[in-house]
Amino acid sequence: MVDIDDLKTQYLNNEFDRKDFILSSDRLVIAATTSGEKRPQYVDPDHPDFQATPAFLCSLASGRHLPIDFPALGGVPMDGGKAVECFAPVRPDIKLTGKTHLHDIYDKKGRSGRMIFIVVRLELFDESGEHLATTDSRLVIREK
Amino acid sequence: MSVNTIHDVEFGAELPVFEPDTRIENTMAFAKSVGWGGPRFEDHEGARKEGFPGALVPGIMGMGFLTSAIHSWAPNGNVEHIDTVFRAPMLADTPAIISAVVTDIDEEEGLVELDMTVKNTKDETRVFGTAMVRLPLE
Repeated sequence: MVDIDDLKTQYLNNEFDRKDFILSSDRLVIAATTSGEKRPQYVDPDHPDFQATPAFLCSLASGRHLPIDFPALGGVPMDGGKAVECFAPVRPDIKLTGKTHLHDIYDKKGRSGRMIFIVVRLELFDESGEHLATTDSRLVIREK
Repeated sequence: MSVNTIHDVEFGAELPVFEPDTRIENTMAFAKSVGWGGPRFEDHEGARKEGFPGALVPGIMGMGFLTSAIHSWAPNGNVEHIDTVFRAPMLADTPAIISAVVTDIDEEEGLVELDMTVKNTKDETRVFGTAMVRLPLE
């Protein structure tokens, strides 16, 4: 059985992935309108406050989910949920940088065994270094 | 009923019910817009071949439905934080109902906390979560 404290000591808060993004207005509009969004700052690229929806920001977290040397825990990671905290509007057509680290690791014991939860945090910055948003992805692994 | 300022919000108030568009044409368009194409999002039969009960609504689209419901209720509000738990898959072409209730109000800061759920028509919870929304003070 993997020791959660050992995993935390070894892996928490170490950046393991960095990726640049440029968001396109077209995709932002489609993601917003299909979600039922009506506010012009999310569906009208000509609006002076046009920006990405919080849900769209969570899509940026897909890709490499765990550090390359993270131990196999037995099961396939499942997407247990997502969270986003917005600090400033995220605009299209500018260079964005996402920096990813493991924010938390914890377990829950159930009748079918132990489930391990891993919170992968992506912090999104613009070119000036302003922190625009943080997204958390909760991976759930049923230990084998 | 929509709200304009923090003073319009009542503790325990329920937001108007929001019924999202879960037709596969719509959910597939969302999936493609975030770069998540593939049979599991685009085709019921293809999704079944991957072991799913049908084509899936992307999990983060559930979050998108929730924020749209909030914006519909509070046209001047800004979602500062939203946290969703994917309890079970949402299926395309399956109606869903979003409900939300006000669980906390900070009138000095203009912040409202909401508990939110996405259920299917069998009253089974698919997604649930919380949101923190900032509203104008005046």
